[in-house]
Amino acid sequence: MTLLIGALTLGLILSLLAMGVYVSFRIFSIPDITTDGSITLGAALAAVLLVGGTSPILATAAGALAGALAGALAGVIHTRFKINSLLAGILVMTALYSVNLHVMGRSNVPLLQANTFATQGERLGQSLFGTGPLHVLGWPVTPGDLAVLALAFLAAVGAGVTLYLFFRTDVGTAMRATGDNPQMVRALGADVDRYTILGLALSNGLVALSGALLAQYQGFADAQMGIGMIVWGLASVIIGEALTGSRSLGLALAGAVLGSVLFRLLVAVALRWGLNPNDLKLITALFVFSALVLPRFLARRRGGAPAA
Amino acid sequence: MLELQGLRQTFNPATVNEVRALQGVDLTLDEGSFVVVLGTNGSGKSTLLNAVAGSFFLDEGRIRLDGHDVTRWPEHRRARLIGRVFQNPFSGTAPGMSIAENFALAARRGRPRGFGWALAPDLMGALRDRVAGLRMGLENRLDNAIGSLSGGQRQALTLLMATWLRPRLLLLDEHTAALDPKSADQVIALSDEVIRRDGLTTLMVTHSMAQAVAYGDRIIMMHRGQVVHDFRGAEKRRLRSEDLIDRFDEIRRREQLDEGAAAMLRELYV
Repeated sequence: MTLLIGALTLGLILSLLAMGVYVSFRIFSIPDITTDGSITLGAALAAVLLVGGTSPILATAAGALAGALAGALAGVIHTRFKINSLLAGILVMTALYSVNLHVMGRSNVPLLQANTFATQGERLGQSLFGTGPLHVLGWPVTPGDLAVLALAFLAAVGAGVTLYLFFRTDVGTAMRATGDNPQMVRALGADVDRYTILGLALSNGLVALSGALLAQYQGFADAQMGIGMIVWGLASVIIGEALTGSRSLGLALAGAVLGSVLFRLLVAVALRWGLNPNDLKLITALFVFSALVLPRFLARRRGGAPAA
Repeated sequence: MLELQGLRQTFNPATVNEVRALQGVDLTLDEGSFVVVLGTNGSGKSTLLNAVAGSFFLDEGRIRLDGHDVTRWPEHRRARLIGRVFQNPFSGTAPGMSIAENFALAARRGRPRGFGWALAPDLMGALRDRVAGLRMGLENRLDNAIGSLSGGQRQALTLLMATWLRPRLLLLDEHTAALDPKSADQVIALSDEVIRRDGLTTLMVTHSMAQAVAYGDRIIMMHRGQVVHDFRGAEKRRLRSEDLIDRFDEIRRREQLDEGAAAMLRELYV
């Protein structure tokens, strides 16, 4: 049961990453590797601030904001300097590795004594339900774990609803159209470059928010923690699309959250069954590869033209 | 209203692919005039339209529109004054978004976009009425993705979007060329209706002599990046398709003569 709750909590926290990847990859069709750097940046900055005694809310917000800046930088490099979006992401990700080491001062910052969302959640749970284990469906669960799960749920749902509402405003609609048909957006008087920069800032802000919460949940920030995160985000988005089967905005965002949670559950089960953790990224990459290729392959087998 | 002075544009200069698309175009459009641009392939008529829209910056020349010198304005800034329909029905609409959302974007053309609800109730009401006016039955499908519609439907909607906020200048770039004949007739008739109703200053590029004769109050004929004929007023109204075809033949003959003469001169002197 602890395993299940852990996987759920982690999945919900990383659903913010999945939503960020949804924004860059599905809305703007940009595979934005800045993700790998900005999730660590969010974690690193939040961790350092928390160790320094900053309140969890401020530290988390600062981490998210730093990620948004990193995303905006990748956007500027891509649009204003006309550098391929993939390369722009690689440049910022590489630069962020050094930045992150400088932020942390070393390669790993533990949060053992710091006051974080996780510790606050545990305290909240204990004050509500006491310290003894609760019984959920006959399984013993500590109130602290349950409270942290609830907080992660609130964060995921809050971010998802906010994102959904944002994308239905004038700015958000223009942003979605930028990814859909930039020529039309220009003809309707919106600056495509500006919306691309804003979009990548939004995406990486979400990713860094996810990183800041992840650091607090797992109790440390690490310079290496971002490696392959974009692929995990992609996997979640793709699983989500398979689950909800729709490209409509609300369902897609809900799908990203569900996909992230399901992905974490699958990982937890696989590890429980004795999967070597070192193989995790290889398997995830293979999964994303086949999920991207299979639809096209099946369409060709059916004799139809591949979807444009 | 629109004033073009000495427009020159060369694409891929000093390469084998060099194209001198505009070679000194001067043109003035009066307020409320509906000007049809005719020309052979590669005559520079679409380049002219793109130059006005701001798709690229000119090598030389000035563009004044509605009292502003817009020569160095980027495309999205000029969009405040310009409504535009493209040749490709896929260019003017966002396929993955609903009809209503596309119109929400058009309703803020050239205006600041904030955090207001895009599909505001008053917009939806006005939208249902205007789309019903198309008589295509689309008013009940406002939540459908535009990508699911036919080319003719998409062009009709793009036209409605381009003129939702009254543009100072409407640019139509062979906007019926990619459609089947029936849809083309529908869209051109709709265009004429909107242009007359709102008194829109319009620049329309077309391949169709029949359209050029039937619509508009002035015809500009382009060839090799220059304006070679300008028919207006009574002359434009008298014009028939055959007259236009004769003019094109005349240009072609003159050109052949020029080439023949050039070859002769080369033989004699080189």
